[in-house]
Amino acid sequence: MRTALGWAFALIAALVMSVPQAAPAAEVSAARIQGAAGEPQNWLTYGGGYSSQRYSALTQITPANVKGLKSQWVLQDNVIGVWQSNPLVVDGVMYVTQRPNDVIALDAKTGKVFWQYRYTTSPDAKVCCGSNNRGVAMLGDTLYMGTLDAHVVAIDARTGTKLWDKALADLNLGYSITMVPLVVKDKIVVGLGGGEFGIRGFITALDPKTGDEKWKFYTIPGPGEPGHDTWRETDWEHGGGSAWVTGSYDPSLNLIYWGIGNPGPDWNAAQRPGDNLYTDSVVALDADTGKLKWHYQFTPNDNYDYDSVQVPVLADIAWQGKPAKVMLWANRNGNFYVLDRATGKFLLGAPFVKVNWMSGFDANGRPIQTPQPTGAATYPGNQGGTNWFPPAFNPKTGLFYVSAWENYGSIYRREQATYEPGKVFGGGGQSVVSPAPGTPTPGIGRKSLINNWTSETGNGAVLAIDPQSGKRAWTFPQFDVTEAGLLTTASGLVFTGGREGYVYALDAKTGKELWKAHLGGQINMAPITYAIDGKQYVSVIAGRTLVTFSLDN
Amino acid sequence: MLCGGLAVLAAVSGRAIAQVEDHGYSAADIQAGFKIYSAQCQLCHGPNGDQIAGINLSRQRFKRVVSDDDIKATVSSGIVSAGMPAFRFQPAELNSIVAFIRSGFDTSGTPFKLGDAARGKAVFEGKGGCTACHAPQGEGRFNAPSLSAVGAARQPVEIQRYILEPNKAMLPLNRPVSITLKDGRTLKGRRLNEDSYSVQLRDETLRLHSIAKADIKSYELGKTSNMPSYAGKLSDTELADLLGYLTSLKGS
Ligand code: HEC
Ligand code: HEC
Repeated sequence: MRTALGWAFALIAALVMSVPQAAPAAEVSAARIQGAAGEPQNWLTYGGGYSSQRYSALTQITPANVKGLKSQWVLQDNVIGVWQSNPLVVDGVMYVTQRPNDVIALDAKTGKVFWQYRYTTSPDAKVCCGSNNRGVAMLGDTLYMGTLDAHVVAIDARTGTKLWDKALADLNLGYSITMVPLVVKDKIVVGLGGGEFGIRGFITALDPKTGDEKWKFYTIPGPGEPGHDTWRETDWEHGGGSAWVTGSYDPSLNLIYWGIGNPGPDWNAAQRPGDNLYTDSVVALDADTGKLKWHYQFTPNDNYDYDSVQVPVLADIAWQGKPAKVMLWANRNGNFYVLDRATGKFLLGAPFVKVNWMSGFDANGRPIQTPQPTGAATYPGNQGGTNWFPPAFNPKTGLFYVSAWENYGSIYRREQATYEPGKVFGGGGQSVVSPAPGTPTPGIGRKSLINNWTSETGNGAVLAIDPQSGKRAWTFPQFDVTEAGLLTTASGLVFTGGREGYVYALDAKTGKELWKAHLGGQINMAPITYAIDGKQYVSVIAGRTLVTFSLDN
Repeated sequence: MLCGGLAVLAAVSGRAIAQVEDHGYSAADIQAGFKIYSAQCQLCHGPNGDQIAGINLSRQRFKRVVSDDDIKATVSSGIVSAGMPAFRFQPAELNSIVAFIRSGFDTSGTPFKLGDAARGKAVFEGKGGCTACHAPQGEGRFNAPSLSAVGAARQPVEIQRYILEPNKAMLPLNRPVSITLKDGRTLKGRRLNEDSYSVQLRDETLRLHSIAKADIKSYELGKTSNMPSYAGKLSDTELADLLGYLTSLKGS
């Protein structure tokens, strides 16, 4: 690790020689991650800090000057397919992944690449929903990446060489990792994907030096574990319960929070009677032991693939006049929730898009389900009111921001599914509700340069939700659907994008469009922001390019 | 099962046009075939029929089989050397499996009939008048999509629906639009693409337009396709032949 003097020398040398130099990668201690809000020039974790608010204290770019943003550099990816990676920025160095499991370290000021690490993903890796990787985590001077063949690899952040590589599960059973691990104190916590293949999901904590397992929490409880009785007979063995995206952490409660995916088979709930815990739930785990402290299930006995593939957003807000530690959650099932994150108590639930699979909540916050007749439309549709793309929360406006799919429903088909190791365990299928019954509808993904969604089959929108009421403060509609995450800043901005290829800056209070740029490719992950030498940057990935903007001065 | 009985010899229509039979596929058969397929075949062939290299059952891409009888024979004898077991099915079950495969895995179970492709080509160019709008083999300037690969891109029932109920076959994006601009001009055409700020269309003279939404005074979406419906205008045999022809067009 460099001394303060060393830093000063490097800076002076850089100035004197006026040779552009990126600072060498520094060490990211657990204490630094915990205090991430205090160093907004860096982006240290997936969610921009343990609360996963994607809120930055940087204020150089403001509603008044955002129109002056200019592209500074572009990194071109050469891998086909949507690019969902969330870059980290640590002391001037950016670490970003690209499909399937490459890591690139680059100068965050110029976009020039220092090194590239290529992991050889097994050709037998099974991925239900895209060969995605959402980025790396960092602890000390080591980067941690989950792989499509269900390994975690540790990589030296300075050299881009592998330190260790650990297989966490059998890829032949359909396990995979697309999420960014979460560093908690002296552990690397990671969850497994693969629910569409009838896995039994788990979250595990690893030793950062060796990759050895420290604890393991099965998202589907086995015999003798609490919640096991929500499964019939042996259904739990292939109960799914992926952990697709990163969790959050509250150091004051020493609790880790994680969203859990759908049960298996996806669409045939009749085949697995019971609540099917802890699928479609949020679980709160003791950070040291992985023991379950509490859970809340958003969609019991899910019939719709409404997995809780959202990152838990932690906020300290006033609740009914008193300061409260809450968790804010816009769920795939179309409802926005406020939970007490110390106890898991349900405080509020309200639909943020059209919902007809349930009619309301009972006193304990359990949804009153209203299944639609066979062949009728269920709202929200299979992709949900929102999905994996991360939302944001701005403590200054008090608003929660989320990309949503509006006016979008699905017609489900249900069948008996037979479990076969490594094969899709779906139990049916679904199609988008069309304007006139029986007419063709667009596919879910965008496969060409042409938008295939219209207002008749659903559209995207950025919503600002007031957690106090669960009601919308504003709506920013888009024509095509959107899979862009969000970033919000202390200066009152919200940054996002969508499938149409625009990156937007919106007024965080009103939703008014303040700036946009067309980048030509769909924006999937959320923009991030950071600063180097006093200059604030905003980076966003669109299509196969990563574009970084700043103000000219 | 509806069996047309109009045996047309392969020698007459030629192997280049793959559809040499005249078979009807009832909704009940397709649905029954779907059940058998899900239970017995899906594990190897996959939900879309494309899981075995070189074979795509839903898109009618095979290594050896051509006719319905070939499919039945393959299922009954298996291809044991390649790992496909032999199945013991009743004739009715075999008919169902064939119907499901021929439907392109259409789970809605709409009935259809595939007739003779050579005669279908004659209907396409003659009585149907399709060439007034569609380039026969994707050549020439026409204000309708080329059909030269429609058999590979669409299921038979989708094609049938285009012919009988074109208004119900349009993708929402492809609707005809009529746009009046703030400067008073009116543009009519087929929507090609749209986003939050602009819409792209091709007018009746094939000119391309990209219009900023800010310049639009009114925007009407047509509910009816520019393609006429042929319901009641073609005999059952002509329709089956036309379908036999169109499903045989798989591009080059
Ligand atoms: C155990 C795996 C397995 C099962 C089960 C199976 N198939 Fe096959 N099938 C295969 C394989 C492997 C081939 C490819 C053989 C080859 O390469 O020649 C094949 C080929 C075929 C072909 C294509 C022959 C050609 O000329 O291209 C058809 C048609 C077919 N199968 C139908 C079925 C149907 C219908 C069922 C269910 C009743 C079924 N199969 C079940 C493994 C299977
Ligand atoms: C007056 C012009 C016109 C005539 C005549 C016409 N079509 Fe069309 N057809 C269209 C247009 C325009 C479209 C595409 C617009 C739409 O989606 O409605 C279309 C679409 C189709 C499609 C769907 C193609 C695709 O890839 O989406 C098929 C199949 C088709 N026509 C078949 C036929 C057949 C068969 C005939 C003759 C029996 C015929 N059409 C006659 C105008 C015509």
